[in-house]
Amino acid sequence: MRQAELTAQKDYWAKSACKMCIHSCAIRVHVVDGVVLKIEGDPENENNKGKLCPKGQAGIMRLYDPNRVKTPLKRTNPKKGIGVDPKWEAISWEEAYEITAKKLKKIRDEDPRKLLVSINDFHRIHLWGWGSAFGSANYFSTVGQYCGAAYHPVNGSLDGSFAATNDYEYCNYWIQIGGGDGFSSHLHVAGSIKRMAEARVNRGMKVVVVEPRMSTGAAKADEWIPILPGTDRAFVLGMVNVLLHELNVYDAGFLKKHTNGPYLIGPDGKFVRDRETGKALVWDAGSDSAKDYDDESIREFSLEGNYTVNGVKCQPGFQVIKDTLKDHTPERMSKICTVPAETIRRIAREYGEAARIGSTIVIEGKEYPYRPAAVNYYRGAIGHVDGGLDSSAMKLINLIVGNIDVPGGHIGVGLDHRLLLVEPGSDGMIKPQPHILHPPYAFADKPYSFQLMEWFPIGIDPGHLSADNILNPEKYGFDFKAEALIIEHSNPMWNLSATDEVTEVFKKLDFIVAIDVVLNESSEWADIVFPDHTYLESHLLVDIEPPVITGHVYRRPVIEPLYDSRDATDILTELAARIGFLEQWNGLLNFTAFLKPEYYLEPNKKYTNLEITDRMAKSIYGPDHGLDWFQENGHAVRHQTPEEMYLPYRGLRIPVYFNFFKETGEDLQAKMTAAGRKWDTSSYLPVPVWRDSHPLHNIPPEYDLYAFAFKETLLNFSESNSVPWINEAMEHIPMHMGVMINTKTAKAKGIKTGDMLRITSPFGEITGRASVVEEIHPGCIAMSNGISRWSNHPIPKKSNTHFNRLLPADVKWTDGMTGHLETSTKVKIAKI
Amino acid sequence: MHLGMVIDLKRCVGCQACTVACKSENGTPPEVLFTKVLEQVAGEYPIIKKKFIPVLCNHCEDAPCVRVCPTGATHKREDGIVLVDHQKCIGCRACYVACPYKNRIFLQKGSLKKGYFGKQLTPFEQVKYPKWQEGVVVKCTFCVERVDQGLDPACVQTCPADARVFGDLSNPESKVSRLIRQRGGYQPLSEDNTEPSVYYLE
Repeated sequence: MRQAELTAQKDYWAKSACKMCIHSCAIRVHVVDGVVLKIEGDPENENNKGKLCPKGQAGIMRLYDPNRVKTPLKRTNPKKGIGVDPKWEAISWEEAYEITAKKLKKIRDEDPRKLLVSINDFHRIHLWGWGSAFGSANYFSTVGQYCGAAYHPVNGSLDGSFAATNDYEYCNYWIQIGGGDGFSSHLHVAGSIKRMAEARVNRGMKVVVVEPRMSTGAAKADEWIPILPGTDRAFVLGMVNVLLHELNVYDAGFLKKHTNGPYLIGPDGKFVRDRETGKALVWDAGSDSAKDYDDESIREFSLEGNYTVNGVKCQPGFQVIKDTLKDHTPERMSKICTVPAETIRRIAREYGEAARIGSTIVIEGKEYPYRPAAVNYYRGAIGHVDGGLDSSAMKLINLIVGNIDVPGGHIGVGLDHRLLLVEPGSDGMIKPQPHILHPPYAFADKPYSFQLMEWFPIGIDPGHLSADNILNPEKYGFDFKAEALIIEHSNPMWNLSATDEVTEVFKKLDFIVAIDVVLNESSEWADIVFPDHTYLESHLLVDIEPPVITGHVYRRPVIEPLYDSRDATDILTELAARIGFLEQWNGLLNFTAFLKPEYYLEPNKKYTNLEITDRMAKSIYGPDHGLDWFQENGHAVRHQTPEEMYLPYRGLRIPVYFNFFKETGEDLQAKMTAAGRKWDTSSYLPVPVWRDSHPLHNIPPEYDLYAFAFKETLLNFSESNSVPWINEAMEHIPMHMGVMINTKTAKAKGIKTGDMLRITSPFGEITGRASVVEEIHPGCIAMSNGISRWSNHPIPKKSNTHFNRLLPADVKWTDGMTGHLETSTKVKIAKI
Repeated sequence: MHLGMVIDLKRCVGCQACTVACKSENGTPPEVLFTKVLEQVAGEYPIIKKKFIPVLCNHCEDAPCVRVCPTGATHKREDGIVLVDHQKCIGCRACYVACPYKNRIFLQKGSLKKGYFGKQLTPFEQVKYPKWQEGVVVKCTFCVERVDQGLDPACVQTCPADARVFGDLSNPESKVSRLIRQRGGYQPLSEDNTEPSVYYLE
C-alpha cells in the first residue's frame, strides 16, 4: 500500500523492519487513530517468523520517549561536562544548517582532517563514508571493539564471508566459545533462538559452551566449561593437538580438495613455486613428484611428509600446521586456560566423533559432505590482543574436520547472499576479503587517520586508538589536530575505552554536531543537534544479514513523524551540499548504495533518502522492483539456496594455512621499516599458536582477578536501557544489577552481596556493588553493561560501573593483525 | 474447553520477550508485570544448574482467588480463564493473599498517573491506561481479548524459542495435552491442589 493510503487508515497493521538492534527483523505494527499500540514479529517473514525479542517489542517506548530530540537544538550553555545542562534552545532547520555548515566548511577549507567522524548506524552503512567524502579519514567511535575487528576480517579471509555461524538445521554437536548465537545475541536473535531451540529440543543437538561466566547459552548447554578470559585459543589449540597428534582425526578429503593444505611450504613459510609457471606446488603421492597445484594429472595430493623440491626442503601446509602445534599439548594448554587437560581431550574426542568424517548427505538432489559438529565463536573469544590468532584458531578447529561451509558445519554468511564475496584470488584460492564494510586505507609513511587504519591492512577501524593519538600527536607524528566532531547514531564517549582520555578529547573540541533520536553521553556535549526520525517514521531497505535467510526488509513509516525530525540521510546530504562536497558525497553513495550505472546520482543534484532508496531497490532487484514494489509487497526475503550456503567456492580453495596473513604482515613490515618506523607485525602468522607474550596475562600479580563486561538479549547490539520497558525487565534480573564475583573468591576477600567495591585496573578505576554468585569462574569478575550509563536521560540508573573505564586504548593493547582492542583486563578489588 | 499453557523450560532462554510483549499488549502501568521470567541457580561452581522460569497467573481450576473473592469480581469463565471484573472489585486484596503463586498485583492509588516517563503520559499510555482502575487487583488474563479472536496470548505469539504453547487441556489430541503426556508436564506447587492450568516441562 502506498504511504499516504497506509497512514490515512483508522486501524491498521503496517509491515516494516525493526531497528532496536543492529539486525533487522521483519515486524508488523498495529496503529489505531494514529497511535502505535503493538509491535510484533511479521508472521509471514521467513526470517523471524512472527518472533520478536524484547528490544523489538519495546520500540513503542523509544518512539514515544518525551526526551526525544524534537526540533533542531542549539546549546546555550558554553560550559560542557558530565551532568551539565546544555540549556538547549530550539532553533530552525535553516539556522542549524547554517551554523553547522559554516563551522565545518571552514574546517574543510583549512584541513578536513581536523574533523572527527562518529557515524555508526549499522543499518545505514551508506552514511559511514560521509567523513571520507568530506576529506577526513578519521573514525572516532568503535564497532570493531564490539562485534569483532578480529572476527570479520578472518571470516572474509577464509571464505569471503562477513560472519559465520553453525548450521542450525544439521549440526548435532555445537561448541560455542564466547558467543551468543541461538541464545542471546549475534545474527537475528529472535530467529536464531527459534532455530537453536528446535535443534536442541526437537533434534537433541548437544551444546557445549566455553565461557568464563555462565551466560544464557551456558545455562542452556549440555555442558558449561568455565575458562579464563583471553585463553580460548589455548583451549582450541589443545583440541587441535589431540585430534592431530593423539586421535589422528582430520578430514583428508576436504583438506585436499577444498583447502591449500597440500600446498608445499618452504623454510621461509611461503609457497614453493614452479620455476617456470610460478604456480604453487603440491606433492603428488601418486607419481612421487611435485606438481603445479592445478595439474590435472595429480592422482593423490599429499597432506603430510617432508620433501625436497628444486633443492628446497618443504612440507605440505597441513604438515606445517601439525608440526607447529605438536607442543600445544592439552597439559600445556590447560595451565594457560584452566580447563582440565582431560576435559580438553574428552571434548576433542566427542567433537571428532560427532563430525562423522567421510559421511555425506543429499540435499535437494545434490550430495554434500555431512559434518554435523562445529565450533562457533564470537566477540568474547576473539576480542583480545592476538585476536586474529584467536579467530584463525577457531577456524582451524573447524577446518581440520572439514566442516567449513558444509551441512552441519560452520557456515560463512555475507551481509546478504550478494555480499558473500567468492572471487578468484591467487594460486587457485579464494580472494581474501578482510574489508567487507569499506575499502582498505592506503598505507602511508605518515599517518592520516587518528585511528591509524593505514597501518592495519587487515583490520577493522581501531577507533579506540583515536583519543590516544589526538592527545599525544607526537607519538606517531600527527601534524594536524582534532577540532570538530560529527556524531550520527553513535556514542563514542560510552563505547570507546579509556573513557577519561575520550572525555579529554571532547573537552578540546571547538564544535560538536550530532544527529540522533535521543541524546546520550556524547551528544549531550553537542553544540548543534539535528533530530532524526525513529525507525518507525522512516524509509530504508535493510540487509537481512543471514544465517539461512537472505534479502532485504523494507522499513517504512508506520505513522507520520511525531516531531519536526528529518531523515539522517537527508540531513547529511544537505550538509554536504552546503559545505560544498555534494559531488563527492553523491559519488560515494553510488558505490555504497550499490547503484547500477543507470541509476547513478548526478554529481551536483541533491537526492532525497526516498529517491536513493528507490534507486537502490531497482539496482538490486530490477527496474520493476523500486520503492513502489516494496510498498505493495513488503519485504524481499527468502531462504538461501543450498548452493549459496554450502561449498560456494566455485572450484576455488580456502586457506587452512593462512598464507595471506603472513604475506600481509611481511609487506607491512617492509613498508614500516622503509618509513623508519618500529611496528610489531609478529602476530601476522600463517598458523595460530599460543604466545606467552600476551600482555593481558602479564599484568602484575597484584591485579589478581580478570575482569570483563557482558550483555544479554535485553541489551545486545543496542542502546536499549534508556527504554523503560527494557530497563524494568532488566531490574528483575540480578546479573544485570551488580559486579559478579564467585562465592569462594568473595569469601576469601570478605565480600558479601551488596558491598560497594572499588575496582582498580592498571588503567582506571570504577565502583560497583558486589553480586556474589556461583556462576562465574573464581578467577574473574564481570559486569553487565546495564549498569554502565551516566547520561542525563532519566531512565537508566546513573552509575560509575562503566567497564570501559578499566580498559587501556593504545597500540600496545591492540591486536597487531586486526586492530582489535584487548577487551578484558585484570583488576584488584577492595571494599569501600 | 479448558484453556491452558505449557511452558517448556528446556526451550526457554530467559530473553524476556514475553515480559515485554505483555507490557505492550496489555498496556500495564509501571511496575506491573503480568508475566516475567525468574532465574534460579542451584549447585556449586563449576557444577551449576541455572533455570529460566516464566511465571504468570496459573488460571487454576480450583482457584483460591475465586473462592475467597467476597464480591464475585474474580471469576472463572467456562473455558477456564480466571478474570477480575474491575467494576465489582472492592480492592480488599483477599485474593492477593490467597494466591499461592503471588501472581496478583494491587494497583496502588496514583499508579495510573505515574507513567513510564513521569506525569505526562505517552500517547500509548493515554490509550491504554483508561481501561485500568486504581485500587483494584489485576493479573494476567491469558490475553482474553486475543483468545476470543482465536489468537494466542501475546507472550505465546512472540516467544522466540516457542517455549510457551497455548491450547485446550481437555482435548487429549491438542498440542498442550500431548506435550504434557509425552514430556511429563507438571503443575507448579501441585501440593496446594489448586489445579493450575499452566504446566511446566523440564
